Amino acid sequence: MSEETRDMLHEAALRIFADKPKNLWAVLQESGFDKTLLPESKGGAGVSWADASRLLILAGEHAADALLADAMVGHWLVDHAGVDGATLPTVASSAHSEQIRLGRTRDGWRVDGKLPRVPWGGACTHVAFVVGSGTAAQLIVLSRDAAGISVTSGRNLAGEPRDTLVLENVVPAAVVAAPLDARELLSLSAILRSALMAGAIERSLALAVEYANLRVQFGRPIGKFQAVQQNIAFLATQAAAARAAAEAGSEAIDEWLDGVGEPLSRNIAAASAKIRTGEAAGQACAIAHQVFGAIGFTEEHELHRFTKRLWSWRDECGNEAFWSRELGERILAGDPGQSLWRAVVPMAKAISGAAAGAAR
Amino acid sequence: MNKLSFPRPRQSEIGERLRSEVREFIDGWHGNRHGAAAFSGFDPEFSEALGKRGWIGMGFPKRYGGGGYGLAERLVVLEELLAVRAPIFAHAVAERQSGPLLLRFGSERQREEIVPRIAAGKCYFCIGLSEPDSGSDLASVRTRAIKVDGGWRVNGAKIWTSSAHRTHYMVLLCRTAPASEVRQAGLSQFLVDMKTPGVTCRSIVNIAGDDDFNEVHFQDVFLSDDALIGVEGQGWQQVTSELTFERSGPDRFMSHMGAVEEFVTALKQQPSAEGARTVGRLVAHLSTLRRMSRSIAAMLTAEQDAALHAALLKDLGTCFEQEIPETLRLVLPTEPEPGASDGYSAALANVILHAPSCTIRGGTKEVLRGIVAKSLGLR
Repeated sequence: MSEETRDMLHEAALRIFADKPKNLWAVLQESGFDKTLLPESKGGAGVSWADASRLLILAGEHAADALLADAMVGHWLVDHAGVDGATLPTVASSAHSEQIRLGRTRDGWRVDGKLPRVPWGGACTHVAFVVGSGTAAQLIVLSRDAAGISVTSGRNLAGEPRDTLVLENVVPAAVVAAPLDARELLSLSAILRSALMAGAIERSLALAVEYANLRVQFGRPIGKFQAVQQNIAFLATQAAAARAAAEAGSEAIDEWLDGVGEPLSRNIAAASAKIRTGEAAGQACAIAHQVFGAIGFTEEHELHRFTKRLWSWRDECGNEAFWSRELGERILAGDPGQSLWRAVVPMAKAISGAAAGAAR
Repeated sequence: MNKLSFPRPRQSEIGERLRSEVREFIDGWHGNRHGAAAFSGFDPEFSEALGKRGWIGMGFPKRYGGGGYGLAERLVVLEELLAVRAPIFAHAVAERQSGPLLLRFGSERQREEIVPRIAAGKCYFCIGLSEPDSGSDLASVRTRAIKVDGGWRVNGAKIWTSSAHRTHYMVLLCRTAPASEVRQAGLSQFLVDMKTPGVTCRSIVNIAGDDDFNEVHFQDVFLSDDALIGVEGQGWQQVTSELTFERSGPDRFMSHMGAVEEFVTALKQQPSAEGARTVGRLVAHLSTLRRMSRSIAAMLTAEQDAALHAALLKDLGTCFEQEIPETLRLVLPTEPEPGASDGYSAALANVILHAPSCTIRGGTKEVLRGIVAKSLGLR
């Protein structure tokens, strides 16, 4: 995709978000943003995951009340499984293999078990998830109206639907070899959450700056007080780090799918995205609320639309502790004699071994 | 693009090739090893060996003894050296900022005479910025250079000048015109040979017991006309561009990697979930900081202004460094002891004692946050 097309897509999304249409989701769908990862032959825009993440940063900045991230991944998986007619697919990225039983009868596949806290699990048309690890991983797509699915509705702090689906002898719409295993899907979803978070953090910063310049106390805007300036500047450092981490994570997805990068399950940037943005989110929310004082603590004010999402998203798809432990254990399990640095910064593949010798 | 976004850095194939060469060189280095005990080893023998390999002044043009590489390649070599606490302090300041300063603003004579010696690892610099009454408020410097026949006469004092007692030159910032309404006006930079009569140096011992930094006095020091760097009165602008180099490198977030390595080695003997979580979190921070630093290198290569990005990075990086001992000590408790035979205890002692300086040197975090606040439209 050309840089020009990419910029046009970005501009188009920006216009839609800025318009704040009442039926945002319908407008996004009409413009095809939910299918943006699919190739053009399938009604998509064929964008990279890095580009998709940039759109999600925008969505996060505008607290887009929509399932854009989950629908993007949903479409990608549903398409992979060859299922047609999914107008509102979502993904159950936190599906635990041990909670799912996939069985084969004479008539075909049957699924039992539980899909916890699926984004828009009640309202979707299809839900995609992966069970198993490595090459044994299977991608399962269920039609939401299939018999045997019962829904317990739930919500996150921001009111976004997180519904638990209980499956009893459900006939899946498709079961195919998965393009990624369950842990990789969780990692991918975590990276997309990171992009949304980076956007919401930037908006919290922008709101705080705007308010600090307007709100007058002790005879001057509170933004003139160094104590306030220092806090907001610290919030800016967190916003910058969050965006850098989220972008690095999304690029890792592309490199892996293009076959030039490490597997997502072994990629440090992939694991780092959610760790770093999750930590930044907590800091950002605390500072933004402090700047706004009591008004920011009201339902009436818009700040909570961003902070509640941040407090929700940081615990979805694995929180900082989950990914930190996973990453740390992986590094510590390496060659006992190897330094941390050389585990974190391996030599590039292209020049290892014989090639390195030849280059000298 | 957003003001706070860091452009995607490029992966340098040449850099990655250099990485394996540097690792090989380090693994085979038999000279002094400063290791975890030294925060910043000053070792001319090591500096010259690096110079011979072409790993100092890698970004300098070839005709000034440089390697003609890009900043991306320089970063690879630098981070590999920092990762093993290689003793690079002798040449580090000269290669990081004085060389680039002379290349950008210096006279042809200054460039020809000095830059190749920096690249050879034989010429070391200190930076004369802070004064006894002028620390964070850099525009308040009072050291004065008065125009005299054929040159300048300098009087005043600098303080906290790292390595002033063992470097060849200082880049001195001083007043050449009285402070006007614009306080930043009337400042100029000079190239000072540390052996010039009237320059005296008194070392100051820090809380870790090192004598890295100094007080430097100037008493009627005569500098010839060609000691001026760049344009008279443009010192502030020149320093600001120099500080971007000073604030954006991996030396602003890797100073305490020695303690992290010792921690990881000890942790492998007594693994715990908390230990794994701590390592994972530190690595996530480190990997994000590395990306931001490489991104700034890409901006500088494209001749974009990266002063804000450098301030953001230094604040993040030095807070990260400072937090390392506080994090480690609670996960793997030990009583820190300088020079202890237990590597982890010794490394922890070292970083605890050096941690306060991280967020002070090269611009306090309060000053940096002031820069950020201003760029956001506050103030």
